[in-house]
Amino acid sequence: MGKLRPLVEKEVKDLLRDPRIYIGLIVPIIMLPLIGFATSTAMRSSTEVTMKDLKIALLDYDRTETVRGFTSLLIRMGLNTTNVTADSLERALQEARRFGSKALLIIPKGFEDDLLSFGRARVEVYSVIESVGVGSTGAYSAIDAAFETSSQMLSDMLISKLAEMTPEATEINPDIIRNPLNITRYTIIKDSIIQVPPQAVFAQLMIGYGVMIPMVLFILAMTVTQIAATATAVENEERTLETLLTFPVSRYDILMAKLLGSSIVAVLGGVLFTVGFLLYFQGFFAMPGLQIGVESIFQALPPPPPEAYAVLALSLILSILFITSLGIVVGALSSDVRMAGSLLGVVIIPVLVPSLLIMYGDIGALPIGLQLLIYSLPTSYPMIMAKEMITSTMPVEVVYGIPYSAALTIIVVYATSKLLAPEKLLTLQYKLRIRRIKRRQTRDLE
Amino acid sequence: MHEAKVIEVRDLVKRFGDFAALDNVSFAVDDGEIFGLIGPNGAGKTTALRILATLLLPTSGYVTVLGYDIVRQAGNVRPLISYLAEDAGAYRNLSGYEYLSIVAKIYFESKVDAESAVEEAVRISELDDKIMDKMKTYSKGMKRRVQVARALMTNPKLAILDEPTAGLDIFHAQHVRAIIKGHAKEGGTIVLSSHNMLEVEHLCSRLAFIHRGRIMVEGEPRTLKDKYEVSNLEEAFMEVIAKWES
Repeated sequence: MGKLRPLVEKEVKDLLRDPRIYIGLIVPIIMLPLIGFATSTAMRSSTEVTMKDLKIALLDYDRTETVRGFTSLLIRMGLNTTNVTADSLERALQEARRFGSKALLIIPKGFEDDLLSFGRARVEVYSVIESVGVGSTGAYSAIDAAFETSSQMLSDMLISKLAEMTPEATEINPDIIRNPLNITRYTIIKDSIIQVPPQAVFAQLMIGYGVMIPMVLFILAMTVTQIAATATAVENEERTLETLLTFPVSRYDILMAKLLGSSIVAVLGGVLFTVGFLLYFQGFFAMPGLQIGVESIFQALPPPPPEAYAVLALSLILSILFITSLGIVVGALSSDVRMAGSLLGVVIIPVLVPSLLIMYGDIGALPIGLQLLIYSLPTSYPMIMAKEMITSTMPVEVVYGIPYSAALTIIVVYATSKLLAPEKLLTLQYKLRIRRIKRRQTRDLE
Repeated sequence: MHEAKVIEVRDLVKRFGDFAALDNVSFAVDDGEIFGLIGPNGAGKTTALRILATLLLPTSGYVTVLGYDIVRQAGNVRPLISYLAEDAGAYRNLSGYEYLSIVAKIYFESKVDAESAVEEAVRISELDDKIMDKMKTYSKGMKRRVQVARALMTNPKLAILDEPTAGLDIFHAQHVRAIIKGHAKEGGTIVLSSHNMLEVEHLCSRLAFIHRGRIMVEGEPRTLKDKYEVSNLEEAFMEVIAKWES
């Protein structure tokens, strides 16, 4: 034990004083609370905004006292109902959208008669999906909960009515008493009507567009940054960068070679990751029941237009160039690959947080500071585009974001090529080395 | 007729913050010379060579290489020179042959010229079939031979070699020295740094002793030995240092 102790002391001191180790230890302390903050803020704010003014449109063909009672129940449950008048479903939906309603409730003629004769009263609910963010699910759950409670209250009313009735009433189906509403649920997405509840559509779209695509893009961004940083840090570690910088090629060519080389390898990695991810989810979709739902939903939806894919590709290329440049800066300033890996954890935070905010929330519902953070990064735009292209043809923020991303990417690429000027790089590396040595000397003196 | 100098350095100063790595250094190198910068660690040799190789900018002073100003015309200088860093490494996952081919493609537009440069490099490296192996399997000496070959295969007008035989065994060091001499005989100019006084004496037509960023004395090896009445350059260097310190 006597000899072990100084050895352990040596190990602990040496490890804790190594920036490649302590940066790696510090990063999770910063990152994990940030991830938690981003996720909860995104979900909370989008749910709060949705629930604050949860509107549903009502098309009442029955116009009876019972319907008015049913509607007042829904209002008491927190739903803001607006009556619409229309001669067709299309017109009613247009009206509902005009009022900003999350759903259209159609009460057919005969609702009161069915209910009072102890038959199931039919209602149709058309839920409008405009975003596939996780936070949006709250609205549909709230509508369902309102119907559930209203149905319970109608059931209680029928039971009390039953007590006043003659013995023939015993022939009434108790299931109908327990559950007097026959709710048919439809989901409207991009003008297509699908006869499945919004939660089912939502779960599948969210997996596909709301989570999977942003996650693939995030992994792609991580991979490309890591590859670029490693490729440049290896040049430092293996002492090849100095020689490379004396070759008769421009700094810009060296930078572009790194950008393109890293991007090609990262895209390959992204493709492999996507295939793996799809195969992983195919396992879920192959479950009985869910498979049918998925096929019908994806077949029913019109595919995004070609220009949406073009904008997605353009925003993706710009964000890859942007993030690769950051990776090259990290690699160029790192003495070795491990140091680059540790520093990457810090650099990736500004990319990680917006991607979580996009994945879990609706951007418009976020605090203005977080919205600005998202819109300030070129990496956000392909995620927004990928997520929104299924519900809206062309998100306006992406259209404005492309020229902004292009300008910012050009500035970052230019600044990175300037950093690759050997004078700046070698002097900066020299200064960092001297600073590290001085810090070590101060510690040793202490 | 006065010929243009291959290297002309006047009043060169290089500072890193408060530290002066080079302090009013001046020297010149003629065509076909093998010029040595000799000094202990931290003397400023590598900084001077990095400035000549267009890697670092002078803080003040005037430096031309083959008639081009290294600050304003670095792009004209780079195709004419090659630089071998003291600790130049290797791309672990490329073979020596692949690496040399890539460098040749950067320097030569013609495929034939590039191929012939690679052949020359393979000859210089003396790696034979090993040249096709990945460089991660190479010893330190083998990597150095590839780098020396890379530096000389482009037939540069000026080769800047920082410790060219560092890490080589006696046989390969001899071989590299012969290659360097041969390059100078064919009209190339070489500026090198070394700790090895025997090597310097054997190789250099002229040399400068550098200490604490200053050039203390400059001349041909024989002249310096005669001047300080010593039998070898090591003793001459120690004499110069002693006089300078006192």
